[in-house]
Amino acid sequence: MDRGWQHSMERRDFLKFGVLTGATVTLTACEKPAQQLARFVPEEDFVPGVATWKPSLCTMCPAGCGVVVRVIDGDAEVVRKGQRGIIKMGLAKKLDGNPRYPVNRGKLCARGQAGLQRTYHPDRLRSPMRRSGSRSGEFHEIGWQEAMSEVVAKLEESSAKRPDSIRFVAGHLRGQRRELINKFLASLGTTPALQFAPLDEPVLRRANQLSFGRAALPSFDFERSNYIISFGADFLGTWNSPVSQSIGYGEMRRGRPGNRAKFVQVEQRMSQTGANADEWVPSSPGTEGLLALGLAHVLVKEGLRSGQPATAQSREAEEKLKDETFSPTTIASKTGIAASRIERLAREMAAHPPAVALIGGAALAHTNGLFNALAVNLLNMVLGTSGLPGGMFFAPGTSTVNAATTTNDPSDFVSQLLAGRLDNTEFLFLDHTNPVFGTPSGWQVSEKLKRIPFIVSFASFIDETSVLADVILPDHSPLESWLDDVPESGTSEATLALAAPAMRPLHDTRAMPDVLLEIARTLGKGTGEALPWKTFEEMLQSSYRELLRSERCDQPDGFEKLWKSVLEQGGWWDGKCQVPSGKATPLSVRVPEFVSPTFDGSEQEFPFFFQPYVSQAFLDGSLANLPWLQELPDAISTVTWGSWLEVNPKTAEKFEIRQGDLIRVRSRHGTLDVPALLNPGIAFDVVAMPMGQGHEFGRYAAGRGANPMHVVAPVQVEQVGSLAWAATRVSLSKTGQQGRLCLSSGALQEKEPEVR
Amino acid sequence: MPVLGRLAGEGTRSPLGNRLMSHHWGMAVDLDRCTGCEACVIACQAENNVPTVGEEAARRSRTMHWIRIERYYEGEFPNPRVRFRPVLCQQCDNAPCEPVCPTYASYHTSEGLNAQIYNRCIGTRYCANACPYTVRTFNFFNPAWDKPLHLQLNPDVSVRQVGVMEKCTFCVQRIKAAEIQAKAENRELREGEPTPACVQCCAPKALVFGDLNDPASEVSRLSRSPRGTKLLGELGTQPKITYLQRESWNGEDR
Repeated sequence: MDRGWQHSMERRDFLKFGVLTGATVTLTACEKPAQQLARFVPEEDFVPGVATWKPSLCTMCPAGCGVVVRVIDGDAEVVRKGQRGIIKMGLAKKLDGNPRYPVNRGKLCARGQAGLQRTYHPDRLRSPMRRSGSRSGEFHEIGWQEAMSEVVAKLEESSAKRPDSIRFVAGHLRGQRRELINKFLASLGTTPALQFAPLDEPVLRRANQLSFGRAALPSFDFERSNYIISFGADFLGTWNSPVSQSIGYGEMRRGRPGNRAKFVQVEQRMSQTGANADEWVPSSPGTEGLLALGLAHVLVKEGLRSGQPATAQSREAEEKLKDETFSPTTIASKTGIAASRIERLAREMAAHPPAVALIGGAALAHTNGLFNALAVNLLNMVLGTSGLPGGMFFAPGTSTVNAATTTNDPSDFVSQLLAGRLDNTEFLFLDHTNPVFGTPSGWQVSEKLKRIPFIVSFASFIDETSVLADVILPDHSPLESWLDDVPESGTSEATLALAAPAMRPLHDTRAMPDVLLEIARTLGKGTGEALPWKTFEEMLQSSYRELLRSERCDQPDGFEKLWKSVLEQGGWWDGKCQVPSGKATPLSVRVPEFVSPTFDGSEQEFPFFFQPYVSQAFLDGSLANLPWLQELPDAISTVTWGSWLEVNPKTAEKFEIRQGDLIRVRSRHGTLDVPALLNPGIAFDVVAMPMGQGHEFGRYAAGRGANPMHVVAPVQVEQVGSLAWAATRVSLSKTGQQGRLCLSSGALQEKEPEVR
Repeated sequence: MPVLGRLAGEGTRSPLGNRLMSHHWGMAVDLDRCTGCEACVIACQAENNVPTVGEEAARRSRTMHWIRIERYYEGEFPNPRVRFRPVLCQQCDNAPCEPVCPTYASYHTSEGLNAQIYNRCIGTRYCANACPYTVRTFNFFNPAWDKPLHLQLNPDVSVRQVGVMEKCTFCVQRIKAAEIQAKAENRELREGEPTPACVQCCAPKALVFGDLNDPASEVSRLSRSPRGTKLLGELGTQPKITYLQRESWNGEDR
């Protein structure tokens, strides 16, 4: 076992230490004996080592925060040219927020800080792997030369037969990495990469495309908001750009003396964000959009909206909003919220401008998610704060250099797979994505992938999807890579992120972009002209040369100076704050047609709404193998190392369920067993469960908890096609066994100690 | 700017020796800003080499976190209320953990911190019993990291062995680094220079750290807030952490 005595002190530090300790002993000699004893080797007398801080980027979630990495020399066991040995190298020791970066401004969340454990993870693949025998999960290590020649040979074979049988599926696709992948695919004569990213919010993108002409995620100016109403968005925990939103939240609460804004959360299960709300509104599942229209109805009907409708179209929409179908009395029964309360909320909103509405989480994951999102967009239009201080806005586009993420419907992996357009795939690339874990079993993603003759994965770990690969070409960890990103949300100035490797690679891995470039070179076939760069670094440099040629960037001293400053500060941003920008001018202000949510399973047989939610520690499950996050108590349940099913105590009493009882959750599509956790913050007819546990692979994650995807019905959001993960009904039964529930608090219901 | 030897109100005298302190490190926790995101928990774990203990030990409440978020429920559906409270060592000026230690492993530094000298600790756990905040954690086992996870360890902080009590140090290694830097540049410490890991990452700025000897520092200003309370202050422990109570909107009960 490693004892971890890591005081790898340099000689100079040792001398400093000696001098300092000596001085302390002399100075303290005249004190009381107790203190002399105490000064023997106190922690405060260690002299800290010399560290450098290097900028890098966080890749743990799509928010794209900038980080600084504390790098200190240490001894590490590494592989160089096939030889294993111990060398002294700079090692990443701590991640903190990059203070200059416009999104997170020096702050970083728990998940971001745990990114360090991805680099040093004991399960990381240390060299290319080749499948042994059938697709049963057995691999053996091979060399890069062997792996690459096999991949190139297979690729040549497929490309000669039918180039469009080569497909690429990636997680989050942004920036130059996305450009490179798509250029590589184009040079092979096939279609652009598909994306599978469960946290990508395709419903919200589609709604914003329809309402604002921007298929992008919104940003918010909470610092200046006086009223926030969130429909299910866990914006302080996991949704969109949580760090940037939390910074704004803190200012909105206490940063403006005498002006503390009100924050209302609409949801059925109290999230970490909802726990911070001034008012918590549990509407019926799937009626969030209707509630938003009800609020808009009161605002319009009572003439409370600020200013006048801008266009004839919006005047028409407001006339339609006045219709009795949206009156609080009509919608009260559907939403479960009293008419008087809806009226009061609307009046409060009008009395405290600027007010802003946002939507996320389960509200978007019902079958009528698009309606809910469009209704909230309409409420924002009526509130009249889009693009203004205190409202929502879109981060300024950075399209001159990097095509910002646009609508990904044609590149959506799930819809392509379900439409059968991947059936004749001969060759599949997988890049940092785990669709087998993140989709309901009903879609049979695993079975469909198994039919593909040859799969190459760039995974750093064996997971439920990469285990199906024939060859794994492990990527560097993000801290060992050239990284670039275009943060989509949370910044009010045009931002491009870029970072050089913070440390040298530990294992015999290669950066995925460099591997693609090498494959292209080996294949010949004119690929060299489309992809003229030897390395990803060269490609990034040329993208910044392009930036310099554009008018957006005024760096008079030429490329070298620009490149140096970009590497020093972790990217490029123009420093021109563009809020208020008026960028979110509504395109369409039609009142969306009300669509009722539908749920899989009958109410009689399956009495409960099943609501999975994005885990605070593991998000969709991609972070479940990090021990720091496994042992992080969930903010609401305080559970560590497992998963749980939240049940209202009244419901539990009725069904004689006690805390910790192992409950069998059954839907029309499957069952799972999970311990019950009694939670007063959940509706009587709703049960909730975090996503992210129930993995088959990973030493810290395997066999722990359960994956809610086992019961989620394979139902899609209407008109969008993404998974409607909140549209399942379930029944509960007791197994008679005790579940493994590792609580770090005692009982859920306890009084806060009296504070004087 | 703090001046050596200045009397700056209460709390500048160490209960051990009545010696004047050049700095008097303290913290303010604004509960109206805290969102319960737990970034501080991981930041602390990463900075201070706090081990993970695994599921079995966690079930026996043997997790080693130096800072935790306490969650309190009140009320029933449809009006449940939740409050979060980050709890870490309160760095008491009159610390119950100090006088009970038979080996003087638990002591008060010249800057008012409750420090722990690991290689003096013999594991009597008297200090943990005396602490009313349950913020001291005991190493029931030798910590272990699966290789190469040990490379994440911070060389500025010792790794504690089995039988040793440990606790929050206000990131004394960061305070030290800032002091050495200031000394090298022949100047006084600036406000905000020593920053514990938990404070550095806190996005809504719920945690504020600084010198209570400097009446102009933000932490001093917040500590004087009418919303300020001390956790279990009636015990006379004189905590150096002030909690600023959450407010309600428009005077409504929340």
